[in-house]
Amino acid sequence: MSNQKKRNFQIEAFKHRVVVDPKYADKTWKILEHAIHEIYNHNASGLSFEELYRNAYNMVLHKFGEKLYSGLVSTMTSHLKEISKSIEAAQGDSFLEELNRKWNDHNKALQMIRDILMYMDRTYIPSTHKTPVHELGLNLWRDNIIHSSKIQTRLLNTLLELVHRERTGEVIDRGLMRNIIKMLMDLGSLVYQEDFEKPFLEVSAEFYKVESQEFIECCDCGEYLKKAEKRLNEEIERVTHYLDAKSEVKITNVVEKEMIANHMLSLVHMENSGLVNMLLDDKYEDLGRMYNLFRRVPNGLLTIREVMTSHLRETGKQLVTDPERLKDPVEFVQRLLDEKDKYDSIISLAFSNDKTFQNALNSSFEYFINLNARSPEFISLFVDDKLRKGLKGVSEEDVEVILDKVMMLFRYLQEKDVFEKYYKQHLAKRLLSGKTVSDDAERSLIVKLKTECGYQFTSKLEGMFTDMKTSQDTMQGFYASHPELGDGPTLVVQVLTTGSWPTQPNVTCNLPAEMSALCEKFRSYYLGTHTGRRLSWQTNMGTADVKATFGKGQKHELNVSTFQMCVLMLFNNADRLSYKEIEQATEIPASDLKRCLQSMACVKGKNVLRKEPMSKDIGEEDAFFVNDKFTSKFYKVKIGTVVAQKESEPEKQETRQREEDRKPQIEAAIVRIMKSRRVLDHNNIIAEVTKQLQSRFLANPRRLRNVLSLLLNEISWRGIPLTENCTVILLEGIA
Amino acid sequence: MRRSAARKSGQSNSIAPITSSAADLFRSASSKASSKEMERIDNLFYSYANISSGLIDPEGIENLCSDMEVDHTDVRILMLAWKMKAEKQGYFTLEEWRRGLKALRADTVNKLKKALPELEKEVKRPSNFVDFYAYSFRYCLTEEKQKSIDIESICQLLDLVLGSHFRAQVDYFIEYLKIQNDYKVINMDQWMGFYHFCTEISFSDLSNYDPELAWPLILDNFVEWMQEKRT
Repeated sequence: MSNQKKRNFQIEAFKHRVVVDPKYADKTWKILEHAIHEIYNHNASGLSFEELYRNAYNMVLHKFGEKLYSGLVSTMTSHLKEISKSIEAAQGDSFLEELNRKWNDHNKALQMIRDILMYMDRTYIPSTHKTPVHELGLNLWRDNIIHSSKIQTRLLNTLLELVHRERTGEVIDRGLMRNIIKMLMDLGSLVYQEDFEKPFLEVSAEFYKVESQEFIECCDCGEYLKKAEKRLNEEIERVTHYLDAKSEVKITNVVEKEMIANHMLSLVHMENSGLVNMLLDDKYEDLGRMYNLFRRVPNGLLTIREVMTSHLRETGKQLVTDPERLKDPVEFVQRLLDEKDKYDSIISLAFSNDKTFQNALNSSFEYFINLNARSPEFISLFVDDKLRKGLKGVSEEDVEVILDKVMMLFRYLQEKDVFEKYYKQHLAKRLLSGKTVSDDAERSLIVKLKTECGYQFTSKLEGMFTDMKTSQDTMQGFYASHPELGDGPTLVVQVLTTGSWPTQPNVTCNLPAEMSALCEKFRSYYLGTHTGRRLSWQTNMGTADVKATFGKGQKHELNVSTFQMCVLMLFNNADRLSYKEIEQATEIPASDLKRCLQSMACVKGKNVLRKEPMSKDIGEEDAFFVNDKFTSKFYKVKIGTVVAQKESEPEKQETRQREEDRKPQIEAAIVRIMKSRRVLDHNNIIAEVTKQLQSRFLANPRRLRNVLSLLLNEISWRGIPLTENCTVILLEGIA
Repeated sequence: MRRSAARKSGQSNSIAPITSSAADLFRSASSKASSKEMERIDNLFYSYANISSGLIDPEGIENLCSDMEVDHTDVRILMLAWKMKAEKQGYFTLEEWRRGLKALRADTVNKLKKALPELEKEVKRPSNFVDFYAYSFRYCLTEEKQKSIDIESICQLLDLVLGSHFRAQVDYFIEYLKIQNDYKVINMDQWMGFYHFCTEISFSDLSNYDPELAWPLILDNFVEWMQEKRT
């Protein structure tokens, strides 16, 4: 039942009333065959497309598709065989041109033929799974031309020859190359690969193997890398101009392997021009080139990194163990900073800020800085130098830059607590002598240390600053409430909170009467406002400005230490004093007293006292007089104190002291961990503690185990020895 | 470009004056004959018509076709409809039936069948073909106020109506219609445009096609597509 809806016409093809007999098929085929000939002979203009189309249509419609298709195959094949002969006959350079020309002709013909035979392409071919017309045309071309025995090899050789010529500097016809290569690509990736690409890659490998060998023998590292880079770029350019884009990675791999990977070690270790030389001479361009080339090959960057690291470690090790360098701590640290700057530049300018290189740099620095146990002390001395005078006149931004660089070195230290100790000492000296160049710079560095190590690290240091400020306020308050003291000697007191400042030994010393009275007044003032505290005078520190009149009336103001002041004041009441008398009166310890007297009697230009006998050493029976003949061209004379001789084995003492200092920190860490974990096995305790202490110092596992077992024994563990397998359990009631 | 020729105007019947003579005799004889003929035509009509509607409906047409041994989807049925100037697809009125069969001088199924080849030739004459071509478009406008036909039906119609004359153009154009997305329907203007395209433009080089002239845009696109395939 037909429905008269919109889709009424379920049309079958309108049937032409044509007699269907084989003669018809032959006649029709002849027409088409003739047309194909005309097309190949460039005579297509006389043909009627519509008529030919209809003929082909009818043949297929009336089930003569097979005849049409096979006729097509044989006609085309015979034409291609003729074409093949004409190509083979071409001489020399015209071979490729002839091939190209015929290829273009074939494509044009194929296009026309395909258009005429479209109906067969659409219906007969899919149903019989035969090759479509266009593809058929390509396959026949491939089989009869490209793979013809007289052409196949000749074509390949011609192409490779041209590439070789271009590599040796000749100019070739790139347009023609492109067309021929494109032809191979159009014939299918298999054809391109087998008939060109594979041999091309093989020949190229050979070429570069030979060339790289020549270069290695005659060039230095930098020149070689330049040449390699040039060749690499040439190949990439070659691909963009006339090869399949997919060949790029393949040919670059060949160049990379032959020119770089195979010679990596020779290049890096080349005498006088290799990597180490480049590093030493800051050859940024060469280094950058090496980086860019080596990153293309497996383990390339690894190789550079390893050589750089070992060189850096070696150089660094020499730096920190060179006895000459150790004589000047500031110079020592400066040299480290310079080395760091140098490599920072190299990494940023040549190694494109590669993180792995940055890490290698850091680990190398960490390695050799800690080879010298005095590094923490030296860094603190460097900072001390800068804050005393080095940063004078430097702009704020530059100050920050320098301090940040110092912080970089600080981070490398494993024994940060040692740095802290020295830093505290040096800071104390700076603050108490008022010798800091910039308060802002001091505070800025404290902030950086706090950011790096936490509040605990810097709380005492900050306490020192606070004490200084508070003392100022206290002094103001003292003199405001004691106006009657205005005429007497001026007292300036720094009140130092114990614990924040480096510990000082308590030393006996009898102050002159005027001073002790004044000091007592201060003490009662202070304790009046701060009940519950204890004050003790640190007589081994402090200075005094003493006005003195000598024999011929010359007046001078002497800046002396407290001890020296005590001694000098004695001469207000006596002209001659023996050592013993001085010792008795001042009660200053012998070694300090002797040095104090030496400073005033035996040092040229500072000899305000006269000693009999005039020897350098202080004997018990020596007598001292004011040196009436003392002269100085300056009114104000600063008298220092002779430095003490170094005690024997100070380093060992220091180490022992350091270990003692660290014990409570280790114990605290253990307790903290056990409180949070409750139950933990031995190995994990050691691991956790190490991690927690990392920011202060590198903990020794054996030491940790010792401390742990001591701690456990103290909590009466029943004396069971600690082994690696046991577990520690936190019980209630343990603080 | 040329527009389709105007439709043929309908024929008016001449009224025989009342005079007596041999001509009259002849006329009355022929009119008798013609009235006899008309009677047979009418009878034929009613043998296929639907009693309640008074029209030949699709079922009736199918019966007619099978009696004529022609497939009801055959283009000759469309040609027949053209000859009848049938208005509505799938239906013949008595007037249309009379018109068509009278013109074909057929009053039996057999005579009608035999008239078909002649009808084909007539349609193929260039002067008639344009009219037939336009008619076939209109005949497919089944809904009231419908002005265009969907692509799929157009493809079938093109094949039916133009396939024998312009096989290549039709096949390529149908391929294009199926791929393009700009148009979902074709109107009369585009339909006629394609016919003129087939008769005027050299195929498949399209060398004399000038897009500056008033060709419908769809043909400009078609030509562009053909040219792109070439490169």
